[in-house]
Amino acid sequence: MRIRGTAAAILLAPVMVVMVVLYVIPLGVYFINSFHRFLDGRILPAWTLQTYVDYFSDSFNYKVMGTSLRLSLLVTILALVIGYPLAYALHTRVRSAVAKGLLALLLFSPLLVSVVVRTYGWLILLAGTGLVNTLLRRFGLIDQPISLLFNMTGVVISLTHILLPFAIFPMYSVMSRVDVSLKEAARDLGAGWWDTFTHVTLPLTMPGIVAGALICFTLALSAFVTPRLLGGGRVQVMPLMVYNNTVDINWPTGAVSGLVLLLMSIAAVWTLNSLLRRLPSV
Amino acid sequence: MSAEPARPHGADVEVRGITKRFGAVVAVDTVSFVIRGGEFFSLLGPSGCGKTTTLRVIGGFEHADTGEVMIAGRSMGQTPPNRRETNMVFQRLALFPHYTVFDNVAFGLRMKRLPEGDIRRRVGDALDLVQMPGLAARRISELSGGQQQRVALARALVNRPRVLLLDEPLSSLDLKLRLQMQEELKRLQRELGTTFVYVTHDQGEALAMSDRVAVMDAGHLLQVGPPMEIYEEPRTRFVANFIGDANLVDGTVESLGGAIVVIRAGRHSVSARRQGWERTGQSVTLCVRPERVQVTIATAPGPGTPPGAAQRGGELRGRIEDRAFSGYVVKYRLAIDGLRLHAAVPYVNGTPLYEIGDTVAASWEPQQAVTVANE
Repeated sequence: MRIRGTAAAILLAPVMVVMVVLYVIPLGVYFINSFHRFLDGRILPAWTLQTYVDYFSDSFNYKVMGTSLRLSLLVTILALVIGYPLAYALHTRVRSAVAKGLLALLLFSPLLVSVVVRTYGWLILLAGTGLVNTLLRRFGLIDQPISLLFNMTGVVISLTHILLPFAIFPMYSVMSRVDVSLKEAARDLGAGWWDTFTHVTLPLTMPGIVAGALICFTLALSAFVTPRLLGGGRVQVMPLMVYNNTVDINWPTGAVSGLVLLLMSIAAVWTLNSLLRRLPSV
Repeated sequence: MSAEPARPHGADVEVRGITKRFGAVVAVDTVSFVIRGGEFFSLLGPSGCGKTTTLRVIGGFEHADTGEVMIAGRSMGQTPPNRRETNMVFQRLALFPHYTVFDNVAFGLRMKRLPEGDIRRRVGDALDLVQMPGLAARRISELSGGQQQRVALARALVNRPRVLLLDEPLSSLDLKLRLQMQEELKRLQRELGTTFVYVTHDQGEALAMSDRVAVMDAGHLLQVGPPMEIYEEPRTRFVANFIGDANLVDGTVESLGGAIVVIRAGRHSVSARRQGWERTGQSVTLCVRPERVQVTIATAPGPGTPPGAAQRGGELRGRIEDRAFSGYVVKYRLAIDGLRLHAAVPYVNGTPLYEIGDTVAASWEPQQAVTVANE
């Protein structure tokens, strides 16, 4: 027991050091800053709740929170709706292990490219004269180019693309753990394809959906590069505000909005985790 | 579930020359048989023999490459499992973990969109039938292995299938529970008159429960018949060996008597009852069950076959090599100049046992041994 304790301490030490230096201490600094005040271009090291009061009495901040939540929800729902059929097809339709591996690699390939490069790629595709608009016009679906850039639409499209693998992976992994004979049993008992899906496959893969939602939502909530480059200043989300405040040396306000962002993430994790606990284990 | 009238004894399932390949592997090779209505029919064989694939073809989970399956006189073709008059009890049971016992059993009836009142009544009856009353609200994970087994049975039987398919349903249970469930299954089958198709690798299970047994090996159907017939008249070496214990003696046909075949095996002459297909000089295998081998004190010393012994069914002199006492029977292993025989002698109170090393004579009535094809 003694030796196991020592061994565990040694194994955990590097992680603990990294966590304390890079996470716990900065969080503490944040926390302290949130109680200071920013006045006339200077930080006053007073101990006050005034920054919180100012933050929560400014309707603009609620708008930003709303935008952040809306963006994250939209992206999460889209990633799940697009990702689930993909994961399902990968699980059921692709038989050979080699093909499975190649397709999985293809799905994860967006992650091999830097987020900035990927975002600039979307900038080109979504531009007024870009591929998407050109194709839509060629097929006569639109007369005038629709604006896909520097608004919510472009950010949602790009962010969904980036986060898709994070939605697919947990769903696929849960699907491959579900006993195939459960689906066969449903068919045997008279269920057609749809009934088998809604009564057996979907409920049993729900843990994967929840896990995918959790990852997508928290990553979308903290996304910075995509809203910054594709939002064109018109998609004001919380990480952008935190960044702007920090650049303006308005650390107290940056700290407060950063902590609000953290609380939103924690709330999402807590909600989805308690949902996960109530689901049957596969 | 009120007792269903027993079905008329026509053919319920007809398997006509089905072949099923998985890649280069021929899992089932031109297999045909007929299962009569109300019959308890077992598919028996070692793992990988094609028995489960055959069952899955009947259930519609696999489609045969060639041949066809008829259920109640109708060709099944590509009919999916949900539109066949069959229900399956899966090897790993496949109970829905997110449902209660009640919801598991009710699943099939709900798919038929029956009124909720009917469903409640029939699920209750089905749970009574498998002796699981009062556990309807439990979750599957809260049940023991034996209870899960019963739920799986109830979930299939509640639909009143014409044919119930069972894929090694008892293999995960311990011996005592397995024997108890065997009796239970037999009782259910008798009461309901449902046709049971039962896949197992356990020959004891197949013999004890079945009306008829089909023995399979390497995708081929070797023999179909009632348990006693398969035990008494195995047609091939494999069947003789797989069903019960068997002494197999390879040799060539020396002479044919009226009802008796004399077989030369090395320096011994042994005889068995004649099947009709044997020809002089043909290489065959003699099969004699250990409990048919009589062991007596040797009348003359020395190993070998005394002259004329073949007419008495073979008398082989040898030595007791090993002995195992197991209560009502004593098992001896005899070493006889180039042969090894097993004998199972009933233990009657007071019978003195032979000792290891004793010189004895082994013999059997020719009628008690049988020739099997030597493959």
